[in-house]
Amino acid sequence: MMRPFDYLTLMQFAWAFLAIIGFSVRSNLKGIRVLFTGLGGGLCWASYLIILYYTKSMLLSVFLAIILVCIYSEVVARKLLTPVSVFVICVIIPLVPGRSLYYAMRAYISGQSMQASKYIFDTLMISGTIAMAIAIVASATNLILRLRHRF
Amino acid sequence: MNKISLQECSKLALETGRIILQSGGTTNRVELMMHKVCQGFGFEDSESFVTPTGIFLSLSDGDEQISTRIKRIEQRRIDLGKITQVSKLVNALQADIHNSRPLGETRSRDFYQELVRIDRENPYPTWVINLSGGATSGFFCLLFGGSWIEFAIAFLIGCLISLSLKYISKLPVNNFLLNALASALIVLLAKTIDTWIPNIRLDNIIIGGIMILVPGLALTNAIRDTMSGDLVSGTARGVEALIITIGIVAGSGAMLKVWDLLGY
Repeated sequence: MMRPFDYLTLMQFAWAFLAIIGFSVRSNLKGIRVLFTGLGGGLCWASYLIILYYTKSMLLSVFLAIILVCIYSEVVARKLLTPVSVFVICVIIPLVPGRSLYYAMRAYISGQSMQASKYIFDTLMISGTIAMAIAIVASATNLILRLRHRF
Repeated sequence: MNKISLQECSKLALETGRIILQSGGTTNRVELMMHKVCQGFGFEDSESFVTPTGIFLSLSDGDEQISTRIKRIEQRRIDLGKITQVSKLVNALQADIHNSRPLGETRSRDFYQELVRIDRENPYPTWVINLSGGATSGFFCLLFGGSWIEFAIAFLIGCLISLSLKYISKLPVNNFLLNALASALIVLLAKTIDTWIPNIRLDNIIIGGIMILVPGLALTNAIRDTMSGDLVSGTARGVEALIITIGIVAGSGAMLKVWDLLGY
């Protein structure tokens, strides 16, 4: 288990940053936005690791990290005149459960159904948590914008 | 300033909607942008119904004249740059309304030309796209604890997958088969390289490749659509995410099993 705020976390941040820059260039995003989506991706992964260190609970850290970066993208995307969903799509990629999906598949093929069902459960729970966090931030923003519009 | 005809306006709005929807915009955004275009050219009364596979747009000029068009959306690919640019274009239209209202024929011709330019444009050459696919896969490999040599292999595989995705998507294959073929190719390449280079862990490399394919866009759009009340597109996109996931698992699983059976 790595300690938060040491150079390992920094390196993980850098790798998530570069990976998300690659992803957003691949989906034709241009200019300064590429930098900011990368920053969001790094923030997502780094905050996940730090919260995981303190709380020791995977789902809670996924939830809080996604809420954090969704708020980040609601704020930054409006400043950069970009649709918010463009930012959210790029920024959540590091936490999308590709890893547990692969492990589930591999365990299932080698005949370990117990392991496989554990990983499938993980995959479903993580996707559900991500969905919940996105939904909460999206509806909260909607509410705030409407209230501000009215008063 | 003379107003443009009903037919022309509905054509413009539909073209705007098509570009955004094909590049992976949310339903809410497509409807909003089409409404803004109609409003800008002087037709306040417009109704639209958008699903991920088609757009219905009905436009009336206040009297008995009504123009309704349906556009079927066949091919979709992620292109966040186009969504951003079209949104910017439509918002510029909103700003112009304050000067002259409603906007006339010259402005509509400019708008259409801009749309065509955005639709044709590829901001990056192919090799940049392939290299950035490689970067995504390589750095995800490092992120999940790979070594530098595994990074290099994942980078190479990512580039090859980006290159081959371009050609596979030209074939008449559906979303499921596309992802299954791509993930089978990832496993095949990784296993082939594994026979030449000893002492590498394949897991990180394959996961790095899979991270290119994961349905982040479908997941996000499904949630955002459902939350903004577009239940039909929300469910449709949720199913799309599920199908893509099953495709990835089926492809890579089948290839792993075949490789095992061949006995290497």
